[in-house]
Amino acid sequence: MDWLLEFLPRNLDRLSVWIGVLCTLAIYSLLYRENPVYRFFEHMYIGLAAGYSLGPLGVDILYRYWIEPIWIQGYWAWAFVVPYGMYLYFIFSERYGWISRIVIGTLIGASAGLFFQEFSSRYLPQLNSTLQKPLWVSDANPDMTYGMMINNILFVVILLSVLTYFTFSYEQRGPVKRVAIWGRWFLMIGLGAIFGNTVMARMALLIGRIYYLLNDWLMIRVGGG
Amino acid sequence: MQARTQTLWQRILGIDRRWLYLILFVNIVTFLVAPIRMPASVSPPVQKFHDEIEKLQPGDLVMISSNWSASTLAENQPQLEAVITHLMRKQARFTIISIEAQSRDISYRLAERVTKEKGYQYGEQWAHFGFVPNLIVAIKGMVTDLPGTIKQDVRGTEVSKLPVVQGVKSLSDYKMVIDVTPSGTVPIWISYSPKNVSILYCPTSVMAAEAYTYLDSGQIKGMITGAKGAQEYEQLLTVVGLGTRFMNAISFSHVLIIVFILLGNFAMFMNRLQQRREG
Repeated sequence: MDWLLEFLPRNLDRLSVWIGVLCTLAIYSLLYRENPVYRFFEHMYIGLAAGYSLGPLGVDILYRYWIEPIWIQGYWAWAFVVPYGMYLYFIFSERYGWISRIVIGTLIGASAGLFFQEFSSRYLPQLNSTLQKPLWVSDANPDMTYGMMINNILFVVILLSVLTYFTFSYEQRGPVKRVAIWGRWFLMIGLGAIFGNTVMARMALLIGRIYYLLNDWLMIRVGGG
Repeated sequence: MQARTQTLWQRILGIDRRWLYLILFVNIVTFLVAPIRMPASVSPPVQKFHDEIEKLQPGDLVMISSNWSASTLAENQPQLEAVITHLMRKQARFTIISIEAQSRDISYRLAERVTKEKGYQYGEQWAHFGFVPNLIVAIKGMVTDLPGTIKQDVRGTEVSKLPVVQGVKSLSDYKMVIDVTPSGTVPIWISYSPKNVSILYCPTSVMAAEAYTYLDSGQIKGMITGAKGAQEYEQLLTVVGLGTRFMNAISFSHVLIIVFILLGNFAMFMNRLQQRREG
């Protein structure tokens, strides 16, 4: 009897759990077949997610970074920032479309500038790390084990064969073609690992929902917790 | 005319996929409810993650970038819970920032619940900086002037008045950034963060494979991969969290999927063989 009383939507917290369960079951009803209940909840979810974002955008961004500096701190020059950004919408006008290119130019310029920093910070350390990999055990590398040696050799072989596969400047023939084929196989193994992880991620999301149904709704303590 | 009877292999190939969904559902429920716990072997990226946080001294400052929303809650929530628990054990100060609108509230509520349980004080030992829409701009701003870029925390208090970041001028004053995310934000942290700040990564399982290059080059110091990584981390911390609770079901659902794949392929080959024999 106590369980039933707790189970029913007797307060706002329980009501929110019941609404969550209704939404979950409605969305998963697609697994049985396409139906109008699923469609309704799908559209509702998209609408809610989009509408929800407006709140933080208004409060955390527009107010904090635009309205407040202008009205409270008196930085009146900021008033031009949002209208300038909105010039982008002229892209939909045949007559005034050229105005949008000013904003696009600013964005491309900024992105190009940022990419210089990104390239040096993101890729150069990887190149450096690859070139510094010791390929044999010696006194110069006292911490190196034979396992690490095999790992490093494999790394370099895979790197070179995959790079060969992506070399399109000339026709791949003979030994180069064979190396490129190996590169393709290594890529397939890499993609297989990514796919395996994707399955794990999707399973975790499903399990998260079932956990919600069992733990929060039916109040069954899961996994001895 | 007599209808041709289906062979066993053809019947297996013709199973309605909804039966497979049902079997998967029953499998998950069974292994979620079953009071058994399988131990995990801790993978090197998770061990490195743990060791890196162990190096923190009391009072060290850590930035948590929490960018996940309801859709990846099952993977990112156990990670964030475990990370905050460890940071509190080390008496580290931490601040949270979100580049996802939903994540602002989800991560704030989660951190508030976990810190309240351990008596961690908001404003004194931790704070939430709210939502910023563009991570590159936010990081570049924080590198030069953190209080001027963030301005206010999620409760509307000026950042310069928060004791937790008293005296902090820029991101360089932090020891570490921990990125808990379902999207490709870690290359941005790697590219634009100050070089003295260590970067740790908590991706969803989908994103993990791509991050091994950063682990190998030392650009990230450790990684917790999805719910599986969270279980390993909880084991290191000797706590029972969502990662541990989910793991039985994840493991056995994988076994079931492998069985389905093997059975389906075996049935397909046997069916082809039979058709070839029949000519």
